[in-house]
Amino acid sequence: MKDPEVMEADFLIVGGGPAGCMAAIRAKELAPEMNVVVVEKAEISRSGAAGRGMDALNNVVVPGISTVEEYLEALEIVTDGVFDPTISRVIGERSFGILKRLETWGVQFPRGEDGNYIVNQFHPKGRFLVEMRGELKKILAREVKRAGATVVNRHTALDLLKDGERVAGAIGLDLTTGEFKVFIAPAVLLCTGGAARIGLPNTGYLHGTFDCPWCNGESWRMGYEAGASLTGFEYTARSSMTRDFNGAGQSTFIRHGAWLINGLGERFMERYDPERMERAPAGIRARAIIEEEKAGRGPVAFVFSHLDPGTIELIESAVFDVERPTMRDYFRNKGIDIRKDPVEVVMTEVYLCGGHGLAGLVADAWGETEVPGLFAAGDSLANPYGFLTGAMCMGEAAAERVVQKDYPSPTSPDTASKLKRLEEVRLRHDRGRLGVSLRDFEYKFRRLVNDYVAPPKSARKLQRFLDETEGMVAEQEDVPARGPHELMKAFEAKAGLFCARMAARASLFRTESRFGLYHERVDYPEKDDENWKTRVIIRAGMEGPVVEKEKK
Amino acid sequence: MNLSFNQESCTGCGACVKYCPGHVLEMGPEGIPYERYPDDCWYCGVCQVECPQDCITLLFPYLIR
Ligand SMILES: Cc1cc2nc3c(=O)[nH]c(=O)nc-3n(C[C@H](O)[C@H](O)[C@H](O)COP(=O)(O)OP(=O)(O)OC[C@H]3O[C@@H](n4cnc5c(N)ncnc54)[C@H](O)[C@@H]3O)c2cc1C
Ligand code: SF4
Ligand code: SF4
Repeated sequence: MKDPEVMEADFLIVGGGPAGCMAAIRAKELAPEMNVVVVEKAEISRSGAAGRGMDALNNVVVPGISTVEEYLEALEIVTDGVFDPTISRVIGERSFGILKRLETWGVQFPRGEDGNYIVNQFHPKGRFLVEMRGELKKILAREVKRAGATVVNRHTALDLLKDGERVAGAIGLDLTTGEFKVFIAPAVLLCTGGAARIGLPNTGYLHGTFDCPWCNGESWRMGYEAGASLTGFEYTARSSMTRDFNGAGQSTFIRHGAWLINGLGERFMERYDPERMERAPAGIRARAIIEEEKAGRGPVAFVFSHLDPGTIELIESAVFDVERPTMRDYFRNKGIDIRKDPVEVVMTEVYLCGGHGLAGLVADAWGETEVPGLFAAGDSLANPYGFLTGAMCMGEAAAERVVQKDYPSPTSPDTASKLKRLEEVRLRHDRGRLGVSLRDFEYKFRRLVNDYVAPPKSARKLQRFLDETEGMVAEQEDVPARGPHELMKAFEAKAGLFCARMAARASLFRTESRFGLYHERVDYPEKDDENWKTRVIIRAGMEGPVVEKEKK
Repeated sequence: MNLSFNQESCTGCGACVKYCPGHVLEMGPEGIPYERYPDDCWYCGVCQVECPQDCITLLFPYLIR
């Protein structure tokens, strides 16, 4: 085995999404001499959830429109009281500054007739969604390069390095040559997004997920194994999205006033949340849709015909020109014209996400985890419903802390043992003793997620999932995977299975029902604020995962 | 097959291969890209918008079409 290339950095950023880009820019701005390296699985100007485009900057506290206190109140409702206000406060306070920075770089925030930003409501309370246009991700990538950070594209991070208790870097896989690459750094930011490939979409198409399918919880697996804690894994989210296409739209439609109707033409949210209607918390909306289907009143759809032509144009420009232009082709192929036709809705597969859900790494106000020098930001950090703004705010915060703390370089990173282990894993995949395809392996555990982890949940089903998948964990490295692309996918599947099992454990532990549909326990149907209005934490113990309530 | 490439207008510049966030595409021996890993396509449209010749049509994966 030839010795892998070693790259040294002062600050290593794993994942070049909005969080990672903003961290790199901020670090170089404050400390131009700092050696900042971003390792990115794809090509940074088009990678991840935001690679194609985004039509709104969620969530921004725009002066004169909302306040940080209102933002926290909205989050209290959306999260059913289970969130860390420290991080959300940081996001609220920094958010408008982020918008202003983006604007100076050329991201467009169109103004309404009154000359002000167009700010809409999606949350049950308050207006925080600012209409946005332009190539956000390309602009961020350009600024990263301009700031002088080094970007290592087409490399996927596989494992973290440690030096005693501290983080010491990471090992990546070069997706072109198939070689491992070692990154030594005293500070590491994990920001590889959320985990999309957990449940199975009802199309059965593995990559037909709502969230970005190449982001699959690798920050969580790596961070947990390095000693950081996880939270919010019982928040098994499912969104209401365009049938089969399974992506984009919901937030755009709702913030511009689209209605949800059932097969009888009734605006059924009246039955479930008459005050907030379509803007009810996501879990309540999800449950309402499922109840309507169950009662035989489906199919459920979004309708737009009551909206004025200007609003419809705004929706079309948001979705078709910015967020997901392929949806225009999709609607055209299906013969859907939103001026007159309803858009049928389907509940997506279960996914886990820190930026539009509750799942993620636990960290302080700077995004630093319990592992010294190890940070998290964006959808990998538990920053409930922080979305794009949360990702960029916490990327900035992490960078500021890294510059301020000036962590000493690692003296004895565990590179040799980690490399040896990775070589063994690669060899096992290369031999492929299990003889089943990666696709079947992934399909199987994701089907089991649908059967046993997706709500409504019960102890019996959740335990069943853990029992059924235990053997899969033991044999996952024997699934044939040859060459860098397949090895990358094997690691994605491994992280997906890890996350699904954590979701089952956290769901089993929370013996109450909360978050609308997302954590509905048929064996504990009541919400129990007295005992459970708190986060569930998972950390690695001597004998496996320890699940407990957060200690205040 | 999720995509079709207009073989007449494709110059083989490789932009679609470079930017596809899912490593779905590879350059074929004739200098025309092809879907090396069609099952990994998110029908995100990045290849389409990056193609300077506008020669990619998205057909969508059969299971969602
Ligand atoms: C369909 C859709 C529409 C959305 N619309 C909006 C919107 O309009 N407004 C809004 O505010 N938010 C929106 N969001 C949410 C928003 O996209 C995310 O919150 C945001 O992109 C999070 O940024 P991030 O940097 O944490 O993660 P991502 O943007 O997902 O970036 C993660 C990066 O990590 C890379 N990566 C993954 N694994 C590895 C690895 N192992 N090694 C190295 N690199 C890796 C990925 O390639 C990617 O570049 C939307 C999300 C989706 C899915
Ligand atoms: S649509 Fe997206 S995932 Fe599919 S080939 Fe094009 S760039 Fe790649
Ligand atoms: S980007 Fe367009 S022109 Fe360039 S190789 Fe791809 S299909 Fe051909």
